[in-house]
Amino acid sequence: MTPLVGRMLDTLDERVALRRPARHLANKVFPSHWSFLLGEVALFSFMILVATGVFLTMFYRPSTAPVVYTGTSAIYAGRELPEVFASIVRLSHDVDGGLLFRRIHRASSHVFIGACIAHLLRVVLTGAFRRPRELNYLIGLTLLLLAVGSGYSGHNLPYDVLAGTSLRILYTLLLSVPYLGEPLALGAFGGEFPGDIMPRLFVVHVLALPGLIAGLMTVHLLILGRQTHTQLPRTGIDGAQRVVGEPLWPWQAARSTGLALGLGATVALSAALVPWSDVDLHGPFEIAQTTNTAQPDWFLFWVEGVLRIYPPIEFHVAGTVVSGPLVGGVLLPLALVALGYAYPFLERRRHPEPGDHHVAQHPLQIPFRAGAVAGVVVLLVLLTLAGGNDVIARLLGLSTESVLWAFRIAVPLAPPLAAWGAAAHARAQGRRWT
Amino acid sequence: MGTSEDEEGLDILQRRVPAPGPGNAVVVAAACAVTAIAAATFAVAVLTGASVALQGTALAAALAGLALAVRRLAPAVFPHVETAEDRDAPEGSDVPLSDVEPVGRRPLLRRVLVAAGGVVGLALLAPLSALRPPRAEAERGTGWARGTRLVMPTGEPIAADDVPPGGIATVFPSDGVGREIAAVLLVRLSGVAPADPTRLDWMVGDDLVAYSKVCTHAGCPVGLFSERTSTLFCPCHQSSFDAARGATPTFGPPSRPLPQLPLAVDGEGYLIAAGDFGGPVGPAVG
Repeated sequence: MTPLVGRMLDTLDERVALRRPARHLANKVFPSHWSFLLGEVALFSFMILVATGVFLTMFYRPSTAPVVYTGTSAIYAGRELPEVFASIVRLSHDVDGGLLFRRIHRASSHVFIGACIAHLLRVVLTGAFRRPRELNYLIGLTLLLLAVGSGYSGHNLPYDVLAGTSLRILYTLLLSVPYLGEPLALGAFGGEFPGDIMPRLFVVHVLALPGLIAGLMTVHLLILGRQTHTQLPRTGIDGAQRVVGEPLWPWQAARSTGLALGLGATVALSAALVPWSDVDLHGPFEIAQTTNTAQPDWFLFWVEGVLRIYPPIEFHVAGTVVSGPLVGGVLLPLALVALGYAYPFLERRRHPEPGDHHVAQHPLQIPFRAGAVAGVVVLLVLLTLAGGNDVIARLLGLSTESVLWAFRIAVPLAPPLAAWGAAAHARAQGRRWT
Repeated sequence: MGTSEDEEGLDILQRRVPAPGPGNAVVVAAACAVTAIAAATFAVAVLTGASVALQGTALAAALAGLALAVRRLAPAVFPHVETAEDRDAPEGSDVPLSDVEPVGRRPLLRRVLVAAGGVVGLALLAPLSALRPPRAEAERGTGWARGTRLVMPTGEPIAADDVPPGGIATVFPSDGVGREIAAVLLVRLSGVAPADPTRLDWMVGDDLVAYSKVCTHAGCPVGLFSERTSTLFCPCHQSSFDAARGATPTFGPPSRPLPQLPLAVDGEGYLIAAGDFGGPVGPAVG
């Protein structure tokens, strides 16, 4: 430590008595296994999102009023565009570093959601959600949902043709809710589609969701700090009492710093190479227009899939309509979310293990868990593929109709089969780490 | 996060000092040099409006160099240490949350206070009504009525001959251009005779028919028409409708036809509506 830094730290310590808590933090133990870094990837990508997002916000105009764009973009120069779309054209073509930071923001959003999902899988598969960590599991799952909400709202902020289509489908999903459909849809959009949605979407994306995410992440980390990490089993160490690993200072700090910088380098390089959702790829949204390539982001492809394969059934019951968008786009996602929140308690009912659990389990140790994860993953992967059934049909040289029917048959059958198979496999293997 | 006990030191299980070598120093120095050059390149690239490929690559090189330097410097300065930390156990309900003892109970007053707080919370939901649209807008209907002129998105009226055989056109009611729920697709059939359940008396001639453009599945615009099969197609979820048979669903998830709009021609030869749609427009409302 240089004398200057040392003197500054002394000065700070004299005023806020920092030495003891700082030392406690520096001695905090981090398990060395790579899978414990997935949450850090999510944290760092969120930081990149906030930093680049602040920059983007300064140039964004959430209004759909028509304006004439007069910048340097060859495609859009002189054209009348919705002001919001024009502001992104300007950001991409006429603002120093605008295109780079917009692309980095988009790339980081994919990393953020992907890392949240991978982190959740690690926690579920190793049983890290068990008592005493149920609360942090519930917070973590909430963070994933907020991340998906951020991804969805951000995807729609450009008001390009993809955004318009995706917002129209959200409007339909809200409308399909029994009895409350019309007030929900009109209330959320501030009128009949597209209503006054852009200012609302804007404030949700740049203020409400990131604020909630930052707050909940802080709580998540504070609870983690109190509870300490789970522990991979190790001979000679009682993992229930102690956690083993490297202290935060110095190697772990270097590792995390390297990870954050490496992540920054990766998204920056990807921004140099990949035109992440460039404004030149899709034109502005116009009422009653859409495109053949209309699609959501990858993490919502499964909703697209279920909307596509749901059979043409709509029935009236108890004064309301049960439609495909209601069952596939509202009830099924809600059921999956509810299952996610309930899972720790369902598993505990099935496998009552009293007391606290701090030692990670082999992913195949609990057949019930292996089956549940396999079932949900197979369901989501199949539905994701169904969201591209026309592409699959083209690639395989089949008719879209036969591919559609294959999915209609596979989606209800394959997940239970996979769950049963995975549970049976886990039972037969009898794998455990301890 | 401070511990209550004064047990400060690390419980070190393993301590290993990496062998010093000249290699590490060279790598750190070289990485720092790359970082400095790349960072300067990045700044110049942004300020001069150079390509995003250069900006991104330079920034990536700067950050990657820094990452490498940090990772390689740490083992040169610090030993590798493995340590163990005790997990804090809950102390149980014997430990009070506060040391200030209550002197009375007053359960009724506490409940009244909670109830009053609840009333405040409920009352604060009332301003949610601000999100609601103006009443007039919520009760407008489709905007189509007998005599309403069909106009193109530009606002110009349209004559029957403006749609070529096998062609389509998107039109709106003259007083509702750009109103999504009112969008209509004019279709001129070609090489096929319209049949039931198409309302033939709602067509102009024997080939010009009008349907709502809002898909009855998820509300996307039904924007594509295949002349050969007279199929209207929605790109969102592949809903397909037979334009020669009353826009009956033929493939995909929709369960209701696109409602047909009765057409007529006014005295000036322009297309008008002869009434409202023959069925509910757009997706199901729960």
